Amino acid sequence: MKSAVRGRSLAVLALGVACGAQAGAPADALGWLQRAAEAARNASYAGTFVHSNGERTSTIRITHVSVNGDEHERIEALDGPPYEIVRRNEEMFCYFPDAKTVRLDRRVNARFFPSLFRAPADVIAHSYDVKLGNVEHVLGYDCRWIRLEPHDTSRFSERLCSEVGSGLVVRAKTLSVQGQVIEQYTFTDLKLGPQVARGDVKSIFEARVKQWITDAQPREEAKGVDTGWTVTSLPQGFEKVTELRRTLPGRPHPVSQLIYSDGLASLSVFVEPNGAPTRTAEASSEDGTTTFFVRPMGEQLVTVLGEVPLATAELVGRSVAHRP
Amino acid sequence: MTQEISSLMDGELEGREAEVALGACCGDEGLRRNWHLYHVIGDAMRGQAPSTLAMPRKVLEKLNAQPTVLAPRRRVPATVTRVALAAAASVATVGVVGWLGSQGASPVADPVVAKTSAPTASPLQPVASTATVPVPALNVQEYLVAHRQVPTPDLYRPVTNRTPATAVAR
Repeated sequence: MKSAVRGRSLAVLALGVACGAQAGAPADALGWLQRAAEAARNASYAGTFVHSNGERTSTIRITHVSVNGDEHERIEALDGPPYEIVRRNEEMFCYFPDAKTVRLDRRVNARFFPSLFRAPADVIAHSYDVKLGNVEHVLGYDCRWIRLEPHDTSRFSERLCSEVGSGLVVRAKTLSVQGQVIEQYTFTDLKLGPQVARGDVKSIFEARVKQWITDAQPREEAKGVDTGWTVTSLPQGFEKVTELRRTLPGRPHPVSQLIYSDGLASLSVFVEPNGAPTRTAEASSEDGTTTFFVRPMGEQLVTVLGEVPLATAELVGRSVAHRP
Repeated sequence: MTQEISSLMDGELEGREAEVALGACCGDEGLRRNWHLYHVIGDAMRGQAPSTLAMPRKVLEKLNAQPTVLAPRRRVPATVTRVALAAAASVATVGVVGWLGSQGASPVADPVVAKTSAPTASPLQPVASTATVPVPALNVQEYLVAHRQVPTPDLYRPVTNRTPATAVAR
């Protein structure tokens, strides 16, 4: 078993984690990174984590189990208005008890802790130096820091603390170009492994939803379409994940959304008619890792939002064009 | 009495005057509405407007359609009447800006919205060259929801307000 886990093959590695292999830690930093991604998918865990991004902080309860290779996950907001997201693999069911509505969606590329990235480790290594840091004691577990240093300034650096036994990320930090922590996820309590019951991932609202409304539109939209738009200047390593049209509140027409990722960081480019009233000036904001850049482009309004430095958002936003 | 209530809110009344204003504000329906309205105005000016306003949709739509006038506020000498005037005036200007900025966004999102509009065209700190150009406050939150795929309940619009064809009843 030990030699199998040390093997390079992705499939073997995944199998090792699925079996709860604790025989040995991965040989190198990329192995640790790969195992962290696999553990978020294949391990069973339940706990509470705090997410702080710039000026926002939220507390989320998460329960995750893997049954016959299928992921079952439930997340529940512990502050603010109640909602719950139950996810089975990429299918998301979002329960809004106040609106008595179930909103269906399909996970596209969004960051969800502890599954912060789903790209293979070697794809991430094209844009980041992956190194191992020290071991820290967190919540009664030992975790080893994985340090992702970007090759250039067009993305942030990332720190992941991967639990030594399972590989699960129990703490994550994103650092600005200046080296300050701007986004952080950290478990405040965590159960790992067989103590997590399968019944815990059932929606607490599911029994009541017979009277509820089902909103399937977001899921339809997530299937993706050809928006007719493209981005001509992308930082090295970024590739298009998908493009779709999303209905945003208060808009008569759907907005085109193109999603790009370097395997870890992602950004969305939105294109919509610029009108009523027409925006004439550029504007931007940065809060935590969330960068926002809006720019009028003829009859259109281009908006870039993502976990990237402002210069990256500007570069991308200025190079939106009709696909030839 | 309207002025007294306005002054009371600003902590400008003392002793007997305050008692009279307090007694009045809770007894009369119209004055109680003023008391409430002034608090809403105050909240909006501080960027703390509630995300769900108990206002008819049509009123909100009309407010949204109003251009935001980016002209420096005229300085009025600080008198007792000033507060009521300012409060009334802000219904037309600051109040609209506040609602545009925070409409549908959760309270935590407000600092971002405020920050967003600051560098280029802040409605509250007008730039001479952009005066009279109507620019609504940016709503980062709705793009953030689309990007991160974590829908927030206070931003979510029930299906009944969306295209009926896509609403599938269970």
